[in-house]
Amino acid sequence: MLEDEFDSDLQDNLGSRFQILVCIDGSDESYSGLRYAVRMGADNSADLTLLYVRPVDQGLRSGGLQMRVARENMLKWGVQLPGTKALTKGRDMLVEMGFMADDWKEQVVHTDVTGDPLGDNTTVYKNDEGACISLKLLVSPRVDRGILDECEVGNYDITIISMSETDEAKSHAGYISPATTFAVATQHRGTVLVARELEEDHGHFMCVDFTEKAIQSAVKDAQIASRCHCPVFLYSVAATEDELETAKSVVARAKAAIEAEGLSIAGQSTGVGDPVECIVGKGRNYSLIVLADSSVKGLRRFFTTSVAYEVLQKAANSVMIVR
Amino acid sequence: MQAGKATRPFFSLRSIGLFLHDRRWLIAAFVIGAVLYVVPPPDGLSREGQLVLIVSLVAVILFVTEPVPLPSVALMIIIAQITLLGLDSSKVARSLMSDSVLFIMGSLMLAVAIVKQKLDKRIAYLIVRATGTGIYPICVGISFVCGVLASIIGEHTVAAMMLPVAITLVTLTSDNPKEVKGLAAVLLFSISYGCAIGGIGTPSGGARNAIMISYWKDFFFDPTNPETRRFLVDYVTWIKFAYPVFLAQLPLVTLILFAVFKPERKTLRRAVAKLRKQIEVRGPMTGRDWAAVGIFLATLVGWVTMSESVGLGTIALIGAVLFLIVGLVPWNDMNTGVNWGVVWLYAATISLGVEMQESGAAEWVATSFLDLLGPMNMDQGMPLLAAYTGLTTLVTNTMSAGAAVAVLGPIALRTAEIAGEDPLYLGFITAISSSFAYFTAAAHPAFTIVYASGYLKAADFFKVGWRMAIMSAVVLLIAAKFYWPLLGLS
Amino acid sequence: MGLGAPLSRAPFWRGMAGFLRQRMWLFIAFAVGSVLYALPVPDGLTREGQIILIMVIVAVILFVTEPVPLPAVALMIIAGQVILLGKQSSDVARSLMSDSVLFIMGSLMLAVGIIKQKLDKRLAYLIVRVTGTGLFQVSMGITVVCGVLSSVIGGHTVAAMMLPVALTLITLTKEHTKKISGLAAVLLLSIAYGCAIGSIGTPSGGARNAIMIGYWEEFFFNADHPSTYKYLVSYLDWMKFAYPVFLLQLPFVTWILFTAFKPEHKTLRRAVAKLRKQIEAQGPIKGSDWAAIFIFLLILAGWITLSDVLGLGIVAILGSALFLIVGLVRWNDMNSGVNWGVVLIYAATISLGVEMKDSGAAEWLAVSFLDLLKPWHLDSGLPLWAAYTALTTLVANTMSAGAAVAVLGPVTLHTAELVGESPLALGYITAISTSFAYFTAAAQPAFAIIYASGYLRTRDFLKVGWRMGILSASVLLLAAKFYWPLLGV
Repeated sequence: MLEDEFDSDLQDNLGSRFQILVCIDGSDESYSGLRYAVRMGADNSADLTLLYVRPVDQGLRSGGLQMRVARENMLKWGVQLPGTKALTKGRDMLVEMGFMADDWKEQVVHTDVTGDPLGDNTTVYKNDEGACISLKLLVSPRVDRGILDECEVGNYDITIISMSETDEAKSHAGYISPATTFAVATQHRGTVLVARELEEDHGHFMCVDFTEKAIQSAVKDAQIASRCHCPVFLYSVAATEDELETAKSVVARAKAAIEAEGLSIAGQSTGVGDPVECIVGKGRNYSLIVLADSSVKGLRRFFTTSVAYEVLQKAANSVMIVR
Repeated sequence: MQAGKATRPFFSLRSIGLFLHDRRWLIAAFVIGAVLYVVPPPDGLSREGQLVLIVSLVAVILFVTEPVPLPSVALMIIIAQITLLGLDSSKVARSLMSDSVLFIMGSLMLAVAIVKQKLDKRIAYLIVRATGTGIYPICVGISFVCGVLASIIGEHTVAAMMLPVAITLVTLTSDNPKEVKGLAAVLLFSISYGCAIGGIGTPSGGARNAIMISYWKDFFFDPTNPETRRFLVDYVTWIKFAYPVFLAQLPLVTLILFAVFKPERKTLRRAVAKLRKQIEVRGPMTGRDWAAVGIFLATLVGWVTMSESVGLGTIALIGAVLFLIVGLVPWNDMNTGVNWGVVWLYAATISLGVEMQESGAAEWVATSFLDLLGPMNMDQGMPLLAAYTGLTTLVTNTMSAGAAVAVLGPIALRTAEIAGEDPLYLGFITAISSSFAYFTAAAHPAFTIVYASGYLKAADFFKVGWRMAIMSAVVLLIAAKFYWPLLGLS
Repeated sequence: MGLGAPLSRAPFWRGMAGFLRQRMWLFIAFAVGSVLYALPVPDGLTREGQIILIMVIVAVILFVTEPVPLPAVALMIIAGQVILLGKQSSDVARSLMSDSVLFIMGSLMLAVGIIKQKLDKRLAYLIVRVTGTGLFQVSMGITVVCGVLSSVIGGHTVAAMMLPVALTLITLTKEHTKKISGLAAVLLLSIAYGCAIGSIGTPSGGARNAIMIGYWEEFFFNADHPSTYKYLVSYLDWMKFAYPVFLLQLPFVTWILFTAFKPEHKTLRRAVAKLRKQIEAQGPIKGSDWAAIFIFLLILAGWITLSDVLGLGIVAILGSALFLIVGLVRWNDMNSGVNWGVVLIYAATISLGVEMKDSGAAEWLAVSFLDLLKPWHLDSGLPLWAAYTALTTLVANTMSAGAAVAVLGPVTLHTAELVGESPLALGYITAISTSFAYFTAAAQPAFAIIYASGYLRTRDFLKVGWRMGILSASVLLLAAKFYWPLLGV
C-alpha cells in the first residue's frame, strides 16, 4: 500500500519547479553530470533527484544462493552496500558545492521489494523555500527499465545520464552501460542529456532542421541554457550547396523564435555535407550537442535510424536530445 | 513460525525448558512413533505397511500442531521414507514429483503473476459489486463462485485463481495480519471449502469422480444384460445426484466459518472503497494488463481442453513461462512470492500416499475398520453408509482424494454386493466423501494453496475441519436417505 | 505480498520494439530449433534423439544469451519433453527428481542456515589469531579456510559467509578504498579462488560433483555385475581422487595473486587489531553457535559415512531439517534465500541429460566429436583428456558449471566407453575442470557473490584467471597421468 501513498506524494511534488533527474552509478562521469545539474538548478530554483538503480540480484549466477543472503550478511557486519555508497557520495558533493545545506529536513520513504533486503529507498531533503532534493535507490530487474520507470512516473524536465566505460564504473552493481544509456535516450519521452566527458562553459551547439518540432526544441533548449547562463549556438546542415539557402533560413527562423521568447543566441552557422558527420565534427568544440528528436516512433524505429541517434552513437562529447 | 530463536542462547536451564516446551508436540509425536515402532505388526499388515502408517500418523500430528515449520515436516517425511523404509533415495525423489506437484508449483507462480499485474483487484471488485459489502454475502459469493467453477474445471485451478482475490480484500482491510486474523481465515476458507465441496458436483470436478465411474462400469456393467445399463453413469446423472449435495452445503459452510472464526469486521465497506479508488487510479486496462489476461485465459482454456493429453501441470508451467518471457513478472518475484515449502509439503504427502497404497497399509485400514463394524450391526443400511463416510474421510485425509477412491472404491463396491446394497449408493458415498479431506493443510490441494498465503495457522485447518466434516457427512447422509430414493435408487 | 517498483505505464506498442530487441536471441533460438526440427534425421540418430539434441541446442543458446530468465528455460525444457516427445507429464515430472536434485536443494537450504549463524566472525577471529598481521599470511589463511570449508559446503556458501570479513579488513585499512585497490583485490580474490579450487574436493562441494556421481550410477552401475560396483563412487572415493588436486593448487594461489596485483600495504596491523576488538565485543561463543557447529559436524559425518547407503541428498535434507527444527533459521529466510529456479534448472538439465543417454543422442554426439578429434590424433589418452578439459572449461565459462556437467556428462561418459578409457577418469576430469571457470565475474557462484560487493573490476578476474587456469589444468592433468593410476583407474 505504501506504493499508492508514494504515488500521491509524487503528484504533490509536481509543482512549477524545474525537475532534474540525475542517474548515478558511482562513476566519475555520473558525478560530472551531477555538477552540470547543479549549474542548471542554480539559485535553488530546481528540484534535484539522484537516482541509483540496482538490478535485482538474480541469484542464478551465484549458484542458487540468492545474493540477498550475502547482502544481509554484509549489512550485519556494517559494510555499506554499493548503491547507498554512491548516493551518499552524491549528497556530500551537493553539500560541498553549497547547493544543499546540512539543516535541510530529511524524510525517508521505504518500499519493500520482495527478494531484496534493501528494497526501494527514497530520502527526501527539503528546505523551507520548498526546494527539494531526493536520493532514490530503486531496485529493478534491469537498470534501464528502472530508470525509464522512474522517468515515466516522475515527469522530469530533463534527465541526465552518463555514458562511461571506465573499469571503475563497471565494478558497480548499478553500472550504467552504454547500452543502458542508449536505451534510455531512445525510449524516454522527455529530454535526455547524455553526459560524456562533460565540460562546462563551452555552450550549447543547437542543431535545427526545417521541421516545426526542431524550432520548438530550439526554444526549449534556449530556456534550459539560460538557466545555467550557457551561450547557444544555432547550426543547420544542408545536404548539398543548393539547399544551403534553406538551411540558412531555418537558422534564421529558429533565431526569431528564440528571440520572441526574450532570450538570445550567441552565434549561428551552417554547413554542407552529411548531417551526422558535420554535426559530430563541428560539435566537438562545445559542451553539448543539442538535437531535436526527429525520430519516428514505435515499430518503425526498427527500420529507420534518425540523425539524432546516429549522432548520439558517434559523438565524442555530450549530447542532449530535446523532446 | 518460530521467529527470533536464533539469537537466544540455550545454555540456561530455563531456556532449554522453553525450547523443549515449544516443541512438546514434536517430542510427543516422536515418542508415539517410537512406541508404535517397537510394537510387532498386527495381523494382515506387513512391517512396511506398519512403518508407513506410523510415518503418516506422526506427520498428521505435526501437521495439526505445527511445533516446527511445516516444510521441515515435509523434509522429515522424505528422510523417513529412506531411512525407515530403506528405499533408494533416487526412487523416493522420483516419487515426490508428479503432474499434480508441477501443477501446484505452476499455479502458485501464476498467482504471483496475477498479483503483480493487480488483476486480482479487478476480479475482487467484480465479485464485490455483485454481492455488496457485507462480509457474509461476500463469503457466500466467493464460495459459490469457487464451487461452481470447481465443479467444472477442477478445484486446484480455482483455488489458485481466487487466492489473490481474497488476499487483496484482506490486505485492503488492514496491513497488519494480526488484526484481521479472523477475517482472513473466513475469506480464505471460503475459497478452499467452496472448491472442496464444489469438486464433487460433476464428473470433471476431480479425478476421483472419474475413477468411481470407471469402477462401476468395470465391475457391474454387462453388455448382454440391459438391466446393468444403469451402472453406466453419465455426466447428467452424476450432476443429478451430487449437485444438490453441493448446493445444500453452501450456506452451511459460511455459517460454520463464522461460528469458528469471529471476523473482526462485519462489513468491508472501507476495503471496497479503497479497492474502487485503486482501480480508478490505475485507469483502464493497459496493454500489459491485457497481455496478462490473455495469458491467463489461454492457460485456463488449456486446462479445460488439453489437460487429458499433456497434463494440468505442464499447462500451468507453460503459463508461467509465458509470463516470464513476456516480462510481465521477473523471476525474483516468483522466487520469493511462491511458498516453495508448500510445494514440497504436497510432494511429500503424495509420495507417502503412493507408498501407503503400495505397501497395502490402506487396504489393511479399510478391512480392519469393517471387521470392527461387524459386531456392532453396522454392516448394512444406513449405518453402513455412515461408516463408509467416516472411513473415507479418515483415509482421504492422509492421501490424495483420487488415491483414496482408488483404494476404497473396490472394497466399498464389494461390501455393497455382500450386504445386498445398491453399489451406486455406496459408490456415490465413497466418491463424495473423499472430498472431505478437511483436517490438515496438506490433505487437499485447495487447502495447500490457501495455506501458502501465510495467513493461516496449521491448527486452524483442524479447528474448522472436524466441524465441516460432520456437517458434510450429515448433509450427504440426509441426501442419501431422502433425496436419492426419489431418483430411483433403492 | 509486497509490490515491486511501479511499472511503466507506457502504451504497449511503445515498448514493443525494445521488447523484441531484448528477446532477439529467444527468436533466434526458436528459429534455429524449428529449422533443425524440419530437417531429416541424421544417420545413426533416432527421431527422438534428434528432438532431444534440438532441445539441448536451444537450451544452450538460451542459457548463454539469457534473453529470458533462466528458470523459464528450465520450465520450457519440462514442457518441451511433454509436448515434443509426447511423454506422460507425470513421467516427466518423475524424471526431474533424483538424489542429486535433492542434494542441490538440501545443500542450498543448508547454506542459508549456515550463513545465518554468526560463525563467520568466529572464523575470522581464528584466521587472524593464527596468521598474525602480515598481508601474505592473512590472505593465505583466508584461502586455506575458504578452500577447506568450500570443499564441504560449496563455494557460494563460503563466499557469502566470508565476504564481509575481507570487506571489513579493507575498509578498516583505509576509508578511501580506491587507494588500496591492489590490497582489496588480493583479499577478495583470496576468498574467490579459495572457494573455486576447494569446491572440487568432495562430492558435496558442488552440484556438479553430485551430478557426476549420479550419472555414473545411472549409466554404468548394474546390481548384477560385481565389476560395476566401482561406479558407485562414495564420498571417500571422490576425496581420494580430487582432494590432492585441490591441495596441490593451494600454495600457488596467494603467490599468483601477489604477482598479479601489487598490494599497497604489506601488513594489516591496524585493521586486524580493530577487527579483533570488534569480534571480542561479541562475547564468548553461545549455545546456538555450538548447536550450529554440532549440526554441521553431524552432516559432515553423515556425508562421509552414510552417503553411499542413504545418498548425499538425504543427508543434506536432514541437515536443513535439523536447522529448522532446532529453530536456528526461519523457514522464511530459507524460502527467500534459496533461488528455487536454480533447483528447477538443475532438475530439468539432469532429466535432459538422462534423456540424451536413453535416446542415443549422447552416443551419437560422442561419435561425432571423436570423428572431429581423429585428424589431430586427439582421440585417446592424455590428448583426449586435455581436449575434454579445454572443452569443459570453455562451456563452463559461458554457462553455469552444474548445467555444463549435466549436459556434457553423458557425452563424455559415452566417449570414454567408445575409446576404451575408464569412464571414471574422464568423469572426474569433466567434473573438476568445470570448476576452472575463472575468466569472468559471472562464471562461478563464488565470483558472482564477490563481484556483487562492488569492490572488484571484471578485468581483475581475467588478470588472475588465465594464470590460475593454466595452473589448475596442468595440476589436474598431472594428477590424472601420475596419481590416479596409483588408485587403480
